[in-house]
Amino acid sequence: MDLRWHHFALWAAFIGGMLALPQFVSSGTLRTIIFANYLAIFAISWDILSGRTGYISFGHPFLIGIGAYTTAILTKRFDIAVEYAIPSAVLMTMVGGLILFLPALRIKGSYFALVTLAFMELIYQLVQVIRPDLTGGTRGMSGIPTLTLGARDGFYLSFSLMAAIALSMWLLMRTRLGTALSAIGMNEESVRGSGLSTTRLKLFAFLTGAFVAGLGGAFYVHYLGSIAPRALFDINFLFTILVAALIGGLSTVIGPMLGAFFLTFLLEYLRPYLPGAERYFIYGGIALLLYMYEPKGILHLFSRGLDRWRERVSS
Amino acid sequence: MNHPLEITNLVKKFGGLTATDNLSFVVEKGKSVGLIGPNGAGKTTIFAQVMGEHRQTSGSIKVYGKEITKLSTSARVRHGVSRTYQIPRPFGNMNILENIRVGLMPDNIWQMITGNPDLDREEELALSVGFTPGDLMKTPSELSMGDLRKLEMARTMATDPSIMLLDEVFAGLTVSEIVQIADLIQKMRKDGMTFLIVSHDLKALEPMVDSAIAINYGAMIAHGTLDEVLANEDVRASYLGGTG
Ligand SMILES: Nc1ncnc2c1ncn2[C@@H]1O[C@H](COP(=O)(O)OP(=O)(O)OP(=O)(O)O)[C@@H](O)[C@H]1O
Ligand SMILES: [Mg+2]
Repeated sequence: MDLRWHHFALWAAFIGGMLALPQFVSSGTLRTIIFANYLAIFAISWDILSGRTGYISFGHPFLIGIGAYTTAILTKRFDIAVEYAIPSAVLMTMVGGLILFLPALRIKGSYFALVTLAFMELIYQLVQVIRPDLTGGTRGMSGIPTLTLGARDGFYLSFSLMAAIALSMWLLMRTRLGTALSAIGMNEESVRGSGLSTTRLKLFAFLTGAFVAGLGGAFYVHYLGSIAPRALFDINFLFTILVAALIGGLSTVIGPMLGAFFLTFLLEYLRPYLPGAERYFIYGGIALLLYMYEPKGILHLFSRGLDRWRERVSS
Repeated sequence: MNHPLEITNLVKKFGGLTATDNLSFVVEKGKSVGLIGPNGAGKTTIFAQVMGEHRQTSGSIKVYGKEITKLSTSARVRHGVSRTYQIPRPFGNMNILENIRVGLMPDNIWQMITGNPDLDREEELALSVGFTPGDLMKTPSELSMGDLRKLEMARTMATDPSIMLLDEVFAGLTVSEIVQIADLIQKMRKDGMTFLIVSHDLKALEPMVDSAIAINYGAMIAHGTLDEVLANEDVRASYLGGTG
């Protein structure tokens, strides 16, 4: 797997540094970081499902929503303990991943993206129409049990979850499996021609992506204590996830994580100047700039800078 | 006798166009067969059907006696047939070793995760097709057409095929690259590999093959040694006028 000591040193430094953070920053900043953590989870899961395989899904809120609604309904309406509700939510999200996978058997490219967008729209309509006594209908739900009190605990929980997911996905994607999944995104026919069943590989990517999305969605709803379907099944939320993965660098785990943090803080600092949906114009701008100057994302920018620095040091 | 490849009454229709017209032939074990014909004759379409990228309209394709028509492309590769593409199809963001790695992988997700890549074998394959140690970390965008064809060969060889289908292996190569690929094919023939080779470069093809098949409009018009085939009236006419 080609792991070096400096990999672990970097991970340890990152995790250690982040865990020390609450000593130094305000709880307002912590709340921003909490959102960044969940966004990172969503972006990592989107990248596994879409970034690698090239099956661009616009349906990620569909998956996150299944996770969030399942645990919300189970805990709030049926008083089921979170220990059972969250695993059930993850399982349900993986069923959702299976459903999302079905069109991927037949179509790809922009058609696939459009079909998955329809999934998001569909679940948005469904939660409003079917059993609003359970889902809370258009207004959503509030008073969902929370797992943590205060920004500090919320930060520790969200960061631990994000770091555990990021580290395990990073390890997983460094294996030959990660290579095979990325190869599908580059040339699916050649992967088949290399003797690998792309259907099975894609299914694995979809289920793993759904697993992570479900986990993120479930914990996120227990942090917020509420669900607002208008915000969840929203094109802006979808784009936030996609842009985080894109600017970070596709087909990597660190990239979407970096992207999520970068984007969260960017939007946060822009809030006073662009209070409404205008700030989403920023997405288009960033995407365009990256597309023109660094399609591989900011992670690539970093590592190129690092290489140049190393060269200068060694020469 | 089970042959590496046995094609019987193969027909492929694209709408009104018959791209393969009731074609039958066998490739015997350890033999190298040239498949020739003018542009659009249907050579690549035959490869695509053998690999399962296109499903034939009718007829049978057997590999070592086993009917493979119902198998997926990846299952056919695991069964021992593998092809190169006329237009190379590398994995664009991967270096040469990683490209070969995909061909070497077992089709088992658990083993992909738990096993390590066989770096020695990757390098061995890369060097065997003529790459130098300095090339191994290059990505396809840094490679010449000749290098891309070598990479196709290496990735195809990585799947451990018992018959290889080569589509226009010599196209777009420099003279020295042609020599390199030719040497590689000759060496593999000595080691007993079975080949079906498509090439427009008949001079380069000549020493590579034991026999040849000529097709036009999807139908066989001649077979025999390459000399015999090239002497055939219909073959000459098809190459000159394209009217078969
Ligand atoms: N997917 C397809 N749909 C429709 N027609 C096709 C398709 N693929 C190939 N054809 C047609 O089938 C015929 C045979 O094409 P094929 O590519 O097999 O020829 P070829 O002998 O490989 O030619 P070349 O020497 O130019 O590579 C051509 O007329 C081509 O236009
Ligand atoms: Mg062709």
